[in-house]
Amino acid sequence: MIIHQEICVGCGSCQPYCPTGAISFADLVSTVDQDKCYECGTCLRVAVCPVDAIAESAEVQEYPRALRKYFSDATTTHAVTGIEGRGTEESKTNDVTGRVGPGDVGVAIEVGRPTIGMDLEDIQKFTRALARAGITEIEPQNPIHSMISDPKTGDLKPELLGERVLSAIIELKVTRNRLAFVLQTVKAVAAEVKSVFCLDICTMLEPGLQVPQEILDIITAEGFAWQPNAKINLGLGRALKAGT
Amino acid sequence: MTHSLHREGSVESLERDYCMLIYPARGWNNEGVTPKLQRILELVFLEDPSNLLIKTLHKNMYSGVTQKEMIDSVRDNSRAFCVFSRRERLANALKAIKTADEGISIIVSGLIDGVREICDEVGLDPHTINMSLGVHGRTDLLPPADIRQYTTMCGHGMVSPGLIRDAIRRVKTGKLSAWDQSIVLAKPCACGIYNPHRSEELLKEMSPLYTVDRW
Repeated sequence: MIIHQEICVGCGSCQPYCPTGAISFADLVSTVDQDKCYECGTCLRVAVCPVDAIAESAEVQEYPRALRKYFSDATTTHAVTGIEGRGTEESKTNDVTGRVGPGDVGVAIEVGRPTIGMDLEDIQKFTRALARAGITEIEPQNPIHSMISDPKTGDLKPELLGERVLSAIIELKVTRNRLAFVLQTVKAVAAEVKSVFCLDICTMLEPGLQVPQEILDIITAEGFAWQPNAKINLGLGRALKAGT
Repeated sequence: MTHSLHREGSVESLERDYCMLIYPARGWNNEGVTPKLQRILELVFLEDPSNLLIKTLHKNMYSGVTQKEMIDSVRDNSRAFCVFSRRERLANALKAIKTADEGISIIVSGLIDGVREICDEVGLDPHTINMSLGVHGRTDLLPPADIRQYTTMCGHGMVSPGLIRDAIRRVKTGKLSAWDQSIVLAKPCACGIYNPHRSEELLKEMSPLYTVDRW
């Protein structure tokens, strides 16, 4: 994002809206720190500027800076997934797609959220660790999949490593017997990352909204705990035709 | 992955904060889904959600758009997001959606025990759960827990900690009411699941605890 210096009246109204604190005063007008800015577009979308001085910079459409927008602006449709946001539909439409089946567990590692943002090097720390551990089941529909240059090493494309985004999600689908191994791998990387990450798992339920005991036992054994709130697919969807 | 499962706060506060996502599956049942989505939205509006946004319009229900404009904006690629502050209203909406049987995925995000009770009441057998195993890594960089109660109401992190602090200052100094400030806070949330009713409660409850610079 940019603020046209010749238009800005220096009211500062936009500054508190920036999730990353990239807008500050310089020479009595507001200016955007281009390194900090994730191109989330919040300052423009909330339409708080009284003189319309905020705009998207031309280079936001250019690769690799465009990744900032793809991964940070929730209103942008990602070129890889075709949906808005950073992940895929995963659990949200699992009653229709059956993507995570009875013997499967979906695992999502979302780096940068909540709020902090991250360098893509942090994603590479996870993709490398997963590759070293032989965990190769990264969801092909997830944008991260297309950013990996070498699946054997987990290396990202080198031109991406200087970019910062609000968050990105590594989505995996593994068989239940590999969940412990995945959690151990995640735990080992946790101390290396420079940002925060959220960890989610997705599984089919047993009758009465019961989480399979096998899953709960693995979570506990690996030293994790689940939060009291969760996202629950109520099972009201049905397919009209096979997915594409 | 919306981050509604990572909302933070006390159990008492989260008990008044349930998100609902209405989600056609791309490539499976989204062709010709517009009238079905519109019907579901009509049923949802009858139960007075605290906030609602349709992805094709990208404006929440406090932005000045009417319910009719929101429903008319629905297309086959639309997804709708809303949040309820009252559990009984959510249960009523789910009963009506179940009866309508439009075959669209409905996801409720909130306290697991609360959702279980609602499902028992409505007669639903949930299919899949997405559980949060928490936040890890450099958690020392996060804003304090009191601020995160607000910021995590926007799953994408578009409601900045700075805006929350600004809101507390404005409420505390009488520049805006807790409700009006909550509408301001809901604006950056691109999914429409920031709950202004819960936000208002939090601002009223917590404002006395802060010391702010009046100027």
